Amino acid sequence: MTNFGSLLEILAKNGVEFILIGGVAATAHGSVRLTRDLDVVYRRTSENIGRLVKSLAPLRPSLRGAPVGLPFRFDQKTVESGLNFTLQTDLGALDLFGEITGGGRYEDLQSHTIQIQIFGVNCRCLKLRRLIEVKRAVGCPRDLEAIAELEVLFEESQRKNPRDN
Amino acid sequence: MSRLKKKRRSARTHPAKKAAPLRVDPVIEAYKKDIDRTLIRESLKLTPEQRLNELMELQRFAEELRKAPRNES
Repeated sequence: MTNFGSLLEILAKNGVEFILIGGVAATAHGSVRLTRDLDVVYRRTSENIGRLVKSLAPLRPSLRGAPVGLPFRFDQKTVESGLNFTLQTDLGALDLFGEITGGGRYEDLQSHTIQIQIFGVNCRCLKLRRLIEVKRAVGCPRDLEAIAELEVLFEESQRKNPRDN
Repeated sequence: MSRLKKKRRSARTHPAKKAAPLRVDPVIEAYKKDIDRTLIRESLKLTPEQRLNELMELQRFAEELRKAPRNES
């Protein structure tokens, strides 16, 4: 099980610049689908990577699904050399994206976010409309049902608050 | 002009802008028919934090179900 609240709290309280995307962002918008991992796009500046590493290192991140014994060190150099990481931490599954298909990097997505307050911290969350566009851009067949749900959510939210999303 | 009149005139000249509709994809439209809107409407009544708490509860429940002993009948 992934403790979404604690992971978000740790990232936010350590000043990590990130954007909530994926299933948890969909849940924050109202999706009722089950998701198991926390997906975030992190800002790829040296300072932010430093904060990211410092905040996650105590959670002993390892590469999820990698062969047992594969050496992996979660440090500044590793994150700067790589881009996207699928991690297993002591608080659950966490996917870190330096860049996403159809959305780009943190800086590209920043203007398509809303601030949400959850578990006592403020987080940037990708807007529902952009979330749909990103999922559509990925074009994964298993996402079709999820996209349909997000679009229904978009329609229902529009009915309630026409200015939102 | 009274404040109320100004407000009414403003509402007429600056109506709440609706976001542009999404591009229609016939495949997604077909999937949409099976989405339970009642669950979504209920979810929209909650705060983001309440929704995430429900998600974690659901995860816990799914984990319990996975671990539950099974007997052949």
